[in-house]
Amino acid sequence: MSVKNVLAVALGILSAIGGFVDIGDLVFNTQAGATFGYQLLWVVVVGVVGIIVYSEMCGRVAAVAKRPVFDLVRERVGFGAGLGTLIASQIVNLMTCAAEVGGVAICLQLLAGLPYRALIPLAVVALVLSAWVLPFEWIERVFGYLGLGLLVFAVAAIKLHPDWGRVAHGFVPGHHVGGSLLVYLYFVVGLLGAAMTPYEVYFYSSGAVEDGWGLKELGLNKVTSMIGYGLGGFLSFSLMIVAGVLFLPQKIDPQFLGTPPLAAADTLGQVGLLLALVGILFAVGGAAIETSFSGAYNTAQFFGWRWGKKERPAAASRFTLTWVVIFALALLVVMTGYDPVKLTEYSVIFSVVALPLTYLPILLVANDRTYMGSNVNGRLANVLGVLYFIVIIAIAVAAIPLLIVTNGGQG
Amino acid sequence: MSAPSHTSGALVALVALALLAASCGGAGTLSAKSLSQESKSLQSLASEGALLGWNAHAGRTTRIFTRVHSEELYKAASKAATSLRAAKTEPKLEPKLRNLTYLAGKVSADLKRLGHASKTEQALLAHELELAARTLE
Repeated sequence: MSVKNVLAVALGILSAIGGFVDIGDLVFNTQAGATFGYQLLWVVVVGVVGIIVYSEMCGRVAAVAKRPVFDLVRERVGFGAGLGTLIASQIVNLMTCAAEVGGVAICLQLLAGLPYRALIPLAVVALVLSAWVLPFEWIERVFGYLGLGLLVFAVAAIKLHPDWGRVAHGFVPGHHVGGSLLVYLYFVVGLLGAAMTPYEVYFYSSGAVEDGWGLKELGLNKVTSMIGYGLGGFLSFSLMIVAGVLFLPQKIDPQFLGTPPLAAADTLGQVGLLLALVGILFAVGGAAIETSFSGAYNTAQFFGWRWGKKERPAAASRFTLTWVVIFALALLVVMTGYDPVKLTEYSVIFSVVALPLTYLPILLVANDRTYMGSNVNGRLANVLGVLYFIVIIAIAVAAIPLLIVTNGGQG
Repeated sequence: MSAPSHTSGALVALVALALLAASCGGAGTLSAKSLSQESKSLQSLASEGALLGWNAHAGRTTRIFTRVHSEELYKAASKAATSLRAAKTEPKLEPKLRNLTYLAGKVSADLKRLGHASKTEQALLAHELELAARTLE
């Protein structure tokens, strides 16, 4: 591999790390840390391995079959079931996009002090303009690199001097201490859902098709998904550790997007606070663009429209109109005044419910020699793929009952 | 065609049910469990306000952040205070409800002042909020 290629992979990995955390990770990791300390760190590991397995399969299918997720969903499960999957995915996409837009407006408010309601349309206009003007790679890079401001939480986690023995113990599943079992299980489901967000995978595989990935990109696919998501998981660990050290002893239940940056301020002062706010702003902003594009990709791929960010907007008019409409609907949802943090909790839980619908077709196609030839799942990919399908089914069944019984994790 | 439309219908119904269940609550007759939950949530707001106050006093936050975040905390505490004032409970829990209503009012007033307080006041308010959080334990 040449130096240029290594640099390209490194830059891709950096943007993947910065783009890993979205509002769902922020909310669930800090709430889990503030409620159970480090005891749920193992769930982040399970979630990160899950998203690696899922995205590696999607990337491989995109590179070999040259077809993205929803094209295959429709072919594999038929129009009716495919349409049901599309509708469920779009509802979750819209909820997530609205939560991310609300998150951007809150960050801007915490930075600039302007009224929240005025900042919502401003945030949407800025996001639509960025998505319209910036090329695909630049969207990933600008939002991914500036999202690296979130690394401030890793520094804060170290500076807070956690009991590393107990942190290590958190990576081993076992009996929990404090809180009820149902709340513990609610956070298990929420953390898995926050780590395995389907829109990231739709975006990733559609991007691979747009970039014209072929067989020689299979290695890049493995490296990007394993290292990018793997290292991105460290940000989730950091958020949980910080919340476990700082919020748990003071019995602070983080219900606001301003709470995690307060931890950065407590440890690293104003510089830490500003880095955290900028990191959250761009991580959440990038995720808003990804969700709107994912919605447009899904719809266009399902109905066979011309699609792609690299197409001129007029050439792929229905695709372009779809992502603009998703932003417009997200704007309306946030303008109702519904709390973006609550919306995030619901969007993560409902994304868990919809996850098996898109995961299964990909698992089947990745095992199908007529599509994949010799690049079908190997033994390890199959064992993990099936294992995660079982996990996904279990959490999909448990998600809504746990949401209701625990009153959204409040006990 | 019928299976997927049943699935979609069931999903929509579940979503509506979950949102309804989660948004229920507020004023009315409070049980011991509801009072305990209100107390926990107020304690969290008071503790977070104290953390914000101490950090603001130490110059570790920006003025804008302090103002905006304390305003958010104030809104939540004020909502809790309003709902507690209108709430009823069984006779043996009345003293607890009265105490909680008083503390909710105190916490919400402190949080309101925190956003525009001077450095000296910030320390004082942080101390008061810390005391309120301890009382709520």
